[in-house]
Amino acid sequence: MRRVHPIITVMALFTMGFLYLPLVGVAIFSVNQARRGFVWRGFTLDWYFRLFDNEFILESAWNTLLLAVISTLIATVLGTVLAIGLERFPWSRRMNTTLDVILHIPVVIPDIILAAALVVAFGLLRYISSIFEPGLLNMIIGHITFQIAFVALVVRSRLVSLGRDIEEAGRDLFASSWYLLRRITLPLLLPGIVAGAMLAFTLSLDDFVISFFTAGPESVTLPLYIYAAVRRDVTPEIHALSTLVVLITVVAVLGTERLTRRG
Amino acid sequence: MTRLLVWYGHLTTRRSLTRQGLLFLASGMLWLMIFLVLPGLVLTIVSFATRGAYAPMEWDFSLENYKRLLGFSLFGWTPDYLFILWRSIVVAFITTLVSVILSYPLCFYIVARPGRGRYLWLTLVIIPFWTNMVIRTYAWFLILAPELPFAKLASFLGFIPPGAPLYPNAFAVYLGMVSMFLPFVALPLYASIERLDWTLVEAAQDLYSSRVRVFTQAILPQTLPGLSVGVILTFVPAMGMFVVPDLLGGAKYMLVGNLIQQQFGASRDWPFGAAISMGLMVLTMISLQLYRRRSKEIEFV
Amino acid sequence: MRKLGVLFAILALLIVGPHLALAQPELKIFIWSEYMDPEMPDQFEKATGVKVRIDLYENNEEMVAKLQAGGVSQYDIIVPSDYIMPLLINQKLIQPLDHAKIPNLKNLKEIFTKTSYDPGNKWSVAWQWGTVGLMYRKDKVKNFENTWAMLFDPKHDADMGSFWLIDSVREMMGIVLLYQGYDFNSTVPQELKEAADLLITIKKRKNCLGFKPGVGGKNDVVAGTANAAIVYNGDAIRHITEEPDVLAFTIPKEGSEIWYDSMCIPAKAPNPDAAHKWINWILEPEVGAQLSNYNQYATPNQAAMPHITPEDLKNPGIYPTEDIMKVLHFTKDLGKDNKIMDAAWTRAKSH
Repeated sequence: MRRVHPIITVMALFTMGFLYLPLVGVAIFSVNQARRGFVWRGFTLDWYFRLFDNEFILESAWNTLLLAVISTLIATVLGTVLAIGLERFPWSRRMNTTLDVILHIPVVIPDIILAAALVVAFGLLRYISSIFEPGLLNMIIGHITFQIAFVALVVRSRLVSLGRDIEEAGRDLFASSWYLLRRITLPLLLPGIVAGAMLAFTLSLDDFVISFFTAGPESVTLPLYIYAAVRRDVTPEIHALSTLVVLITVVAVLGTERLTRRG
Repeated sequence: MTRLLVWYGHLTTRRSLTRQGLLFLASGMLWLMIFLVLPGLVLTIVSFATRGAYAPMEWDFSLENYKRLLGFSLFGWTPDYLFILWRSIVVAFITTLVSVILSYPLCFYIVARPGRGRYLWLTLVIIPFWTNMVIRTYAWFLILAPELPFAKLASFLGFIPPGAPLYPNAFAVYLGMVSMFLPFVALPLYASIERLDWTLVEAAQDLYSSRVRVFTQAILPQTLPGLSVGVILTFVPAMGMFVVPDLLGGAKYMLVGNLIQQQFGASRDWPFGAAISMGLMVLTMISLQLYRRRSKEIEFV
Repeated sequence: MRKLGVLFAILALLIVGPHLALAQPELKIFIWSEYMDPEMPDQFEKATGVKVRIDLYENNEEMVAKLQAGGVSQYDIIVPSDYIMPLLINQKLIQPLDHAKIPNLKNLKEIFTKTSYDPGNKWSVAWQWGTVGLMYRKDKVKNFENTWAMLFDPKHDADMGSFWLIDSVREMMGIVLLYQGYDFNSTVPQELKEAADLLITIKKRKNCLGFKPGVGGKNDVVAGTANAAIVYNGDAIRHITEEPDVLAFTIPKEGSEIWYDSMCIPAKAPNPDAAHKWINWILEPEVGAQLSNYNQYATPNQAAMPHITPEDLKNPGIYPTEDIMKVLHFTKDLGKDNKIMDAAWTRAKSH
């Protein structure tokens, strides 16, 4: 353990406090009996129970989960296949750079540009078919689009670190391409795929901007619900909902750490 | 006779490899083509269209939107939008700067923790990182409320009227932005600081008497990879942010993100919204170019 | 890998969706927030067997944007204001009403069957009507005078304290135009520029908290985080009834907006039958009165008048007197000049 200058300690602790102060505030007021104001009127879990009565919230939670699961599954498959295609085949330098750039676009650009492009694109697609009304389908499409890039990048870096040896050894033993892929590459790649999937899943759960621009009346997700609610009136129920979401996030983070540390 | 080659121990022809490779690439790339590249092109085209009297878009092409963006509106030369673009750059820059300044001590502190402690602190940083941005932003409503000491101090000092909350205003927006992006800088930076070669730092400390020089000569260069990733992951998204200015800026402190969102919402002027998005895209490209020039071999992930 | 599956399964079970019963006919209403007695959807379901689902918006433009982005086939009832009707008709976003399904149409006051925007109720049936005004806290504001200058003129800063402007283009721009002596519906670029510039000056003062749509400002005044806000009259009066000593509402002397809101059926509504049932049900005398007695807006329903709370009938905030009516203006649709108005508004909000 190194000795740290006290100023550094102070600044570090200040920064952590700064990060957590708002969240702690929300948690405290989610159990305060008072409907408004800052007077402490006693501890209560009432607001939490109210949440489960609220159909909209339950539906938003369901939508959020459904959206995340479906889009993650599809994006992980597409992204993994894409990464293998990019990394395990000899492409010309130009091809490689172009593909690389396209892959990085969703990661680097502000997501509002992607959202605007999707709104316009879906608006035009609606003339062709009416399934492109704002709704779950549009949201899934939007989410998959940026998730593919993240998954592909994560899986590709794992592929790079795997190196050639194992596969070359496999070939020496006359393995066919398909066998190689299924029995050797994919299992070795699994930690990377899982990491990519977890990343994609969390990105989808947290997403606000893309969802905001592509959501329909029946496909409100939790972030959208909270946003609309706080613009109108901040209530302790929202605090309760938010605290719950944060707690679930904590569980998810700890869970992911356990899983990746094993892998 | 087609030339054979050995690829990953596999004896095959180039054509066969290409065919196989394309098979792998097909699905993913097709998706990205249809839902990323094509919409991008459509957006560019739409930016030249106009808004109808009632419809949000009519196929009436002109440079009208770009002229308006550059300030040539019906009301004379009003560079309002350029001003907003500029303000977005400034906000993104300051957010990044403050995040970096706060991240270094934080990372040093975490690195200095013994064994298990590091994981604990890292987890503590990751949790807000994964928490939903709407929640993290509106949570500031509570901290900045009139009853709490922060707002009371500000009204005492005359910055706000008495009894008013400490939002919406520029300060609240900065608070929100920094608290949002700090983990984006801290986490990649930590990856670099963890690999820091402290012997070099000690050597520098022997050589230089000034702490600042020790930092710039020994620490900064080594942490550059992580720092660069953190900076670009903060600066570019910060420019296009709209949730934070919307909730904490209350339309008093508008950024490019809000402007675009307004065009696709209440103002129903899709072409103008597309044009502004193009403007933001240009800024993004410029930032990325500068980043690419400055950095050396850096992996994104 | 299996662990992940178990994790997902548990999560899914925890958040089980109760909405899987989609076989039932549903009525999807898209309406302003806080505009309806929360009991009413259940009452409607009991009366007709149709389940009601509500989605909210804060201003007309937001509603239209949603419609144009696809909502036209996702909602059965919308509640637009008078001035936006020409747009809805022109853009074919709403469908004509089948009067055979709305026998209670006869309950409407005559003036609402002869409106300028929809004579003969081909497209709409009036819902409520009201005004826009200034709500303030009597306990915090000093030396109040009945003028918009209280907000717009910096010399009243110390007396007024903090306030919210309303995030609604026509209402806000109109009020500022009136204050400057121009027409509420002006489309003269010079006048609009002056209005936008004045808005920018007002917005920049530290007393001004910014713009909030719909009920946002009103809620902050009630909560005490602002001293005043530009609000819709019914929203304000509903809270004044609860706290008459603390809250007040007025229409400043320079004037303000009067509006009619109506029920319409979007062009590709999934369940127009249920929509007609809803409209007819709202026109019942008791239901109409229940609605107005709850949200404290003025009812267009002649048959409901006997059931309205007597105090409300005498309240000039809800049913304006002759004098007040003189300074109230209807918002007019501007046709192709809508663009200029929007450009001025964007200017005011972006600077």
